[in-house]
Formats: sequence, C-alpha cells, structure tokens
Amino acid sequence: MAPSPAPAMQFGVFTVGDVTTDPTTGTTPGEARRISDTVAIARKAEEVGLDVFATGEHHNPPFVPSSPTTLLGHIAALTERIVLSTATTLITTNDPVKIAEDFSVLQHLSGGRADLMLGRGNTGPVYPWFGQDIRQAMPLTVENYGLLRRLWREEVVDWEGTFRSPLQGFTLAPRPLDDVPPFVWHASIRTPAVAELAAHFGDGFFANHIFWPASHTRRLVELYRQRFEHYGHGSARQAVVGLGGQVFMRRNSQDAVNEFRPYFDNAPVYGHGPSLEDFSALTPLTVGSPAQVVERTLGFREYAGDYQRQLFLIDHAGLPLKTVLEQLDLLGEEVVPVLREEFAVGRPADVPPAPTHALLRERSTPGAGAAAGPDSDAKD
Amino acid sequence: MTNLVTISGGLRRPSSTRLLADRLEAAVRAELESGGVAVESAVLELRPLGHDIMDAMLAGFPSEPLEEAFARLGEADAVIAVTPAFNASFSGLFKSFFDVLPEETLSDMPVLIAATGGTERHSLVLEHALRPMFSHLHAIVSPRGVYAATEDFGTASAGSALGDRVTAAAFDFARLVTSCGQRVRRDTDDEELAGMRALLGS
Repeated sequence: MAPSPAPAMQFGVFTVGDVTTDPTTGTTPGEARRISDTVAIARKAEEVGLDVFATGEHHNPPFVPSSPTTLLGHIAALTERIVLSTATTLITTNDPVKIAEDFSVLQHLSGGRADLMLGRGNTGPVYPWFGQDIRQAMPLTVENYGLLRRLWREEVVDWEGTFRSPLQGFTLAPRPLDDVPPFVWHASIRTPAVAELAAHFGDGFFANHIFWPASHTRRLVELYRQRFEHYGHGSARQAVVGLGGQVFMRRNSQDAVNEFRPYFDNAPVYGHGPSLEDFSALTPLTVGSPAQVVERTLGFREYAGDYQRQLFLIDHAGLPLKTVLEQLDLLGEEVVPVLREEFAVGRPADVPPAPTHALLRERSTPGAGAAAGPDSDAKD
Repeated sequence: MTNLVTISGGLRRPSSTRLLADRLEAAVRAELESGGVAVESAVLELRPLGHDIMDAMLAGFPSEPLEEAFARLGEADAVIAVTPAFNASFSGLFKSFFDVLPEETLSDMPVLIAATGGTERHSLVLEHALRPMFSHLHAIVSPRGVYAATEDFGTASAGSALGDRVTAAAFDFARLVTSCGQRVRRDTDDEELAGMRALLGS
C-alpha cells in the first residue's frame, strides 16, 4: 500500500544536531560534515517512507542547528513529501515576529510541509545572549506565543507587551500559506505548565519522552488531555499528542546492545550515569531488534492514548552516518509499516489524524465540518 | 498524628551516625508521645540510595526508589537529619541527596540537625554546614543540634553527656514540631500550573 498523503499517525525522526566524538573510533565530524550528514538523514527519512523530519535549535557548541528554518528550507528543496518540523523552536529567546516570518516563508517554500514545535529552552546563558532572563521563561513564553498567534491570524496587528518593542500597524509578510498558520506543537521534557499552554489553545502537545520515565510522560499527557477537554476543544481523546523516543536496532538484539553501549556510555546528557540496562528500564529507550522496538513503541499507547506523532532520536552521541542510515532502513522496512498497521487497530474513529496543512486548510474552509477551533481566545 | 522521618547518612555498619539517629528518633518520639501526639516514624538510610542519588545527578531524573524517598520526605511533618562530618563538612552523599531533592520539599519543615565525627573539634559543623544548608532549603531548623564525637559513646560525665544533649535537643524539637502542627505540603507542579493559568487568564 502506498503511503497515504495524510496518515492517521506520523512517524519520523528528530535530531539534536550534536557534534560528538565517535567513542569507538575517536573521530569527530567537523561542523560542515555534521550539517551535510543531517541533510542526508532527512533525505533518507523521506526515501524510506517516514513522515516527519525535525531539527532541534541550539546556540552553542557542540551543536550545529542554530538556524532551523535555513536547514529546513534547504531540505524542503531536496524533498517532496516529508513534513519538516522543529524540536524545538525557542519561543522565549527568538523574536516572535521573526519566528512568524521564517515559518511563513518556509511554509511557502515547502508547499505547506512545515510545522513547528515550541519549547522554552533550558540552557541558562542562551537567554542573556538574546537579551532575555531565564527566570522570566514562563511569562516570556505566554507573551511571545500570544503575539505569534496574532501575527499569523490578523492582517494588521497593533500590539504592546512587556518583553519586546510595541507594534503599530504591523502586517506579516508573506501571509501564511492559504492563510492557514503552521500547526503548533508545544514540547515539554518535565514541566506540566507546557501541557496547560497547549491545552488552552487546542494546540498539539509533544512529550520529549527521552529523558524522563514513562510514568512522568503519562502524567503530562493525562493533564494535557483533561485540560484540552476543559477548554472546549474536543474530548480528551481528541487532543493531539506527539511522543519522542530513542531506539537503536540490529536484527540480533544482542548485537544492538553491544554496538550501542559505547555510544550510550559516553553520550552527552546521560552518559557516565545510569547503565544502559537501567536507563532502558526507566525510560522508553529501546536497544534491540526491530520487533522489540515495535513492541515497546506499541506500548506507548497504553499510557499516552491514541496519538498522532511518533519521533525517534537515532543520530546522536557520535553515531556515524552509515549506522544512522541503516537505522532508517530498519525503521522504514521493518518498524514503521508494522506500527502503522497495529496503531490503526482499535483506534476510535473520532480520534483526529495527524494535523497537516491540507487538513487544516480543509477545516478552515467554512462549512467543512469540525474546525480546529475559531481561535476567539487569541486576543489575550 | 505526626509523621517523623529520620535521615541517616552513615556509611558503615554498625554506624555511629545511625546510632545517633536512632537515639534522637527515640527521644523525639518519646517527647511527642508524652505530649499526647501520635507519631508515625520511619528511617531513611542514604547508603542504599547512593547509586540512585548519583544517577539522578547525572541523568537529571530520579529512579523509583529515590522518588519514593522524596515522597516520604515530602509527606513528613518533622525531619531529623544526621550526617557524619567529613573534611569539616557534611558527607558528599548527604549533600548530594539534598542536591537532587525536588525544590521546596523541605520548605517550612521543622528539622533537627545532628552530626557525628572522630573528635569533638568538628562540632561546629552543625552551625557552619548543616544549619545554613537547611536554612537555604527554607526549613525551620531547631535551635539545638546534636554533635557526637567517638569519645561521647564512652563518656558518662554528668551535664554534658550525650544522653543529656539528646534529651535536651529532643525536648526543644518536640516543642517546635508541636507548635508548627501538621505541615502543609507544597506541590511545585500545582504551583507552576497555577502560575501558567494566571498568565493565560484562565
């Protein structure tokens, strides 16, 4: 079966964009190489039938993706079908006007294949580098996002806030493609406030699902679903949920463990901490055969409900490009086709499919049925 | 009902830190019970959580046993905290536990501080290390702490004997705990959510 243009569930990969020494060879890719590898990974993701490629945003070494829409614009020109997203776009330190402009242009260039995931960012010094204060992260998020929504939805914006200069008679150019703003996800590793924000606006909620135990993800997603219903955007199970995940596969599961262990042990963030076995038990990390990855991933539904987007982290910690491309082959051939089939079983008919530009355009056309929400609350 | 949790940072077995912790726990419980207060008491040993504490520091999230320890501490009405003195301060394990403890777990918590050491020359560790840390964590630190040197376990001189110091500290602490009453638990997640709802005007 050919992949349908609007799958019920999207599967893809997200990259942190770290430049890390391969602990097995001692070689470190240059920045140019890491960037070209990232492009190769995105193209391969489309080739093997994945639905989404997403890039992180970082403003310090050892990371390369400081300008996500430049990277995604380039990838858009080299691909035809895959949705391009971010994981995450910093709503706190980026000027919301620039976010609106960048993603508007990306939408036009990619033919509506762009959406974005907003996050606050937890690297302290990034805030002062961009003239902000991490202690104000929450009010910054709410103010900046409120402005971003208005820029995409109102022709002429008069606006005044606390953190940026006022706008008088500002019109975003270009307007969003077909006057449909890109779909917004709000991403959280730990904080429930982000789930509340996503629920308030009826936006998507993406749980990082890499750094914290599944029990934590369950609480966040439950909160988001309850509050989504509370704010009147639909029933709890109609809320739009995305999950991260982290996998490493070989046909023989012991080979996967042996090969991945040095990368795990030396990985940025959690390396030299818990053992691979402990971390695999505590968090959704799955190192093993494709069948094990399928089984574990299908289990996510037990605590997150029927959801819309599943992204895997596969290219960090110094893993060489060749290995990453092999992971993509396994995902495309043995994992995602089974997941598509199995996740469709028992999925209630009123659970919405993954949001795409085509779907949102259809919904925004008057009389086209259940709308995503009239956004009457955007004024605040 | 008063929920008392005693934290012992002792490393060896038998441990003089645990010995002091047990004596303090018994004395505080006796004082509270003689005042008509029912006491539920538990001891939290840090040694079995050593790897979990370091993993939490490196990985950024707690294991299940550590999360259970945090929950027990969060539900306490009163805490006795005892550490060995290492290099003129608390032990690294003791400090690390509080470094990974979720914020506000000890805010407004009556805490009795105590320490053990090889000689009495380190007794001010209570005042220059433990008290400032617990003040920083917004605990209500009982005025009288207890320091026990190795020698104290073999001395019986009246007035300054360890048993008398334990009794005096327990008496003070029981008064403090009784007047503080049941502690109102703080949930930072709920506070954060309330903050977000206020910002959203919802």
